[in-house]
Amino acid sequence: MAKTLTQTLNSTKPPTRLLDNPFIRDYGMVFVLLLLGGLFSLLTLKDQHPTGEDAGRQVADSIIARSGPQARVLIVTRDTAEDLLFSAAAAKQLERVGVKVLASVNGTATDARQAIEGILAQSGEIDAIAANDVTSKWTVYDRYSSVGSAKCVVPASYTWPDFLKVSNLLGVANQTAIYALIAIGMTMVIITGGIDLSVGSLVALSSVTAAILIRDVAGGPQASAPAVILAGVAGIGCCALAGAFNGFMVTAFQIPPFIVSLGMMMMASGLSFRLSAGRSIPELPNSFFWLGRGVTLGIPHPILLMILLYAIAHVVMSRTVFGRYVYAIGGNPEAARLSGVPVKRILLLVYTLCGALAGLGGIVLTSQLSAGDPKFGLMYELEVIAAVVVGGTSLMGGRGKVFGTLIGAFIIAVIKNGMNLTDVDPFNQKIVLGAVLMVAVLLDTLKRRGTHV
Amino acid sequence: MSRFSTAVVLLASVAWLGCGKPEQPTKAVQAVGKADLKQVASKGTIGFSALTLTNPFFQVIADQMKAEAAKSGYDLLVVSAERDVKQQADQVNEFIVKGVSAIVLNPCDSQSIGPAIAKANAAGIPVFTNDIKYDGDQGKVVCHIATENYQGGKLAGEAMVKLLGGTGGKIAILHFPQTESCQLRVKGFLEIVNAHNAKSAGDQIDVVSTLDGGGARDEGFKAAKDAIEAHPDLAAIFAINDPSALGARAALETVAKEGQVKIIGFDGQLIGKQAIRDGKILCDPIQFPDRIGRVTVEQILKHFNGDEVPAEILIPSELYYKEDADRDPELKQ
Repeated sequence: MAKTLTQTLNSTKPPTRLLDNPFIRDYGMVFVLLLLGGLFSLLTLKDQHPTGEDAGRQVADSIIARSGPQARVLIVTRDTAEDLLFSAAAAKQLERVGVKVLASVNGTATDARQAIEGILAQSGEIDAIAANDVTSKWTVYDRYSSVGSAKCVVPASYTWPDFLKVSNLLGVANQTAIYALIAIGMTMVIITGGIDLSVGSLVALSSVTAAILIRDVAGGPQASAPAVILAGVAGIGCCALAGAFNGFMVTAFQIPPFIVSLGMMMMASGLSFRLSAGRSIPELPNSFFWLGRGVTLGIPHPILLMILLYAIAHVVMSRTVFGRYVYAIGGNPEAARLSGVPVKRILLLVYTLCGALAGLGGIVLTSQLSAGDPKFGLMYELEVIAAVVVGGTSLMGGRGKVFGTLIGAFIIAVIKNGMNLTDVDPFNQKIVLGAVLMVAVLLDTLKRRGTHV
Repeated sequence: MSRFSTAVVLLASVAWLGCGKPEQPTKAVQAVGKADLKQVASKGTIGFSALTLTNPFFQVIADQMKAEAAKSGYDLLVVSAERDVKQQADQVNEFIVKGVSAIVLNPCDSQSIGPAIAKANAAGIPVFTNDIKYDGDQGKVVCHIATENYQGGKLAGEAMVKLLGGTGGKIAILHFPQTESCQLRVKGFLEIVNAHNAKSAGDQIDVVSTLDGGGARDEGFKAAKDAIEAHPDLAAIFAINDPSALGARAALETVAKEGQVKIIGFDGQLIGKQAIRDGKILCDPIQFPDRIGRVTVEQILKHFNGDEVPAEILIPSELYYKEDADRDPELKQ
C-alpha cells in the first residue's frame, strides 16, 4: 500500500534521472540484451564454410571450369546429412557434363585413404578432389605424392557471425530454458521476500526419482508413455512436497527461509545420492526424450515449454489476486496480513510452486541428457538467483517482474555463450559473471534510493 | 549511474576480456570470394572440455595437448565443465557452432554426456575422451586415452604388501567411489592385498575401514581423522589421489601419528611428488597426464591422416618412491 503511494507521488515528478524514466526502467534490460547480442555478433564474425546441395553444385562447376569434362574427380565428405546432400549434388552436376566421378567417400579420413589407395592400385589418376572445408583439411591426401591436398576444391566461404547462427541462438535458448523454468518459482519466492536454496538439489531429486520409478516399476527402456508421464509427475510431486515442507517451516515456525531451504538443499541432495547409490540411471525409454530433445516447427520443446510457462506466470503475477497478494506480502507482510491477505497460505503455495518448478526442470534435464543423475543441478540455485537478480527483482521483496527474470536469464546465457565463442579464458568468465551480478544488485539499490529517498 | 552506463561498463569489460586474447588469424583467406584451389593454412581447432581446471592434473593434460597440437598447426580451445554435465553438453554445442575439427572430453558423467556426443557425431565432428570413459551407447567415441588405473591400483597393493608383508597390520582406504577410475584403483589394490592374505598366516593386512575421502584435501583430512580415532593402532592408509593423501597426512600430524601410519597415495601430481620427497607420503603409483595429453593429440592427427585408431589406449602407471623424487628433474626447479 505504502509502496503504491510513493510510486504515485514519484510519477508526478518529471523524470530527472535516467533510471526514473519508466520506459528505461521497464525495458532497459531488453536493451542490454540487444546490445550484448550486437557486440557478440561483431566479435564472432568469421568465415563460414557452406556444405549441402548448393555448395556441391558450386564445387562441381568450378572443377568443370578448370579441368574440363575429361577430369577424373574424387568426392570426399563426411557422413552427416548435409555432407551427403553435398556429395550427391556434386556427383549429379559432374556426371551431367560427362565428368568421371572415381568414387564418392562419405565417412572418415580412413575411408578416404582406402578409396584413394583403391584408385591408385588400378593405376588411376585423380585430377581434382571435391571436398568441403573440413574434409579438405584432412592430411590424408598428402600421403600420396600424386594426390596432395592442393587438388582439393572447396566451396566459397561467406562471412557471418557464429553468434547469429540459428543453431547457436536455438542452442542458447535451449540451454537457458531449464534455468529459466526454475527461475519462475524463484522469482515468486524472492518477491515475497524469501529465498529458496534447495532448487538445485530438487532438480537432482526429481531426476533420480523419476528415473528410478521408470527403471524399477515401469520396465526401463520398455516403459509405456503413460507410465513415463506418471513417473515424471511423481518426480515433480516429490519436489512440490519438499517445497511445501519449506513453506510450512517458514510459515509455521517463522524460521528464516535461507536456513530452511539450506537444510532442504542438503537433505534432497543426500536423498538423491542415496536413492541412486551415487550412479546415473540411463535405463529410460525413447518416449521420455520427447520433452527434452523433441522438436516442433524447428523449435526444441524446452523452449516452447519455457515460453508457455512464462506467458502463464506473467498473467498470474500481473492479472490475478494471487499475484497481487504475492507482491503485497513482499512489500510489507504485516500490512498485507492486516488488510486480509492470507499470508501463510500464499507463502505455502509459493514455496510449493517453486519446488514443483524445480522438479519440472529436473525432468526436462533428465530428458535432455537421457539419464537420471544425482549430480544434476549442482549450484543451479545460484545460477537461478543470479537470473532473478539480473532481471531486476529486488532481493528485499515486493518488487520484480517474471518477464524481467526471463531477460535476466538470457543476459547471463548470452554473456556465457559469447565469452565461449570468443575464447575467453574460463577463469576470466567467472570474474565477468560475478561483476555482472554485482552491477545488477547495485542497480537495484540505486533504483530503491531513486524512488524512496 | 544508469542502466545505460552500466550496460556500457559491462560491454566494455566483456569486450576487453574478449580481446585479451588475439583474434584467431583468419583461416583459408584464399577461399574467400569464389571456389578456388585449396591452400593449406591453419588446420583447424580442437575443442577440449575438461572435467575441471581447478585440479592441476587436467591443467597438465590441457597444456600438453596445446603444445602438441600447435606443433602440427592446430589450435586448442580449452573450456572447463566444472563437473557439471549440462554445462559440458552446452560447451559441446558451442564447439559444434564454432565448427571445431575434433572434440576432446573428460565426461562429467559416463552416461549423461551421450546425447552431446551423438550431436557432435551428427555434425561430423570426431569425439575423443581422456581420463574418464564414456560408457553409454548413444554416441561414438573414436578413441579413449587413460591411465591404466587397475594396474596402478595393483602397484599400490604391491607397495602395501612390501611395507606390511612381514608384520601385518590394520589399514584404511580413503576412497572416492563416485568415479570409475577410483573404483578400479581400489579393486586392483584389494586384489593384491587379498592374495597376500590368502597365502600368508600370521601377517594379515587387515582393511579395517573404507571411507569416502572425497578425493580432496579437506574431506581426506576428516575421513583420516575418524579412521585414526576408531583404530588408534592403524599401520597404513591407501588414498586414491594426492589431495586426499595429503589431507590424511595433515590429520595424522594433528594427533602426532605421522611416524606410525604410512601413506600410499596415487597420481604423482607435483604436490604429491614433493610430499614423497619430504617423506610425507611413502609412495605413489604415478599417472602421466602429459603423456595422456600428447597421445590424445597424436590419435587425433592419426585419425585425420586416415590411419586406424584403436578404441582405447591405456597408459601404464609406475611406482614412485623417495629415491625417484630425489633424482626427478621436475622437483629440482
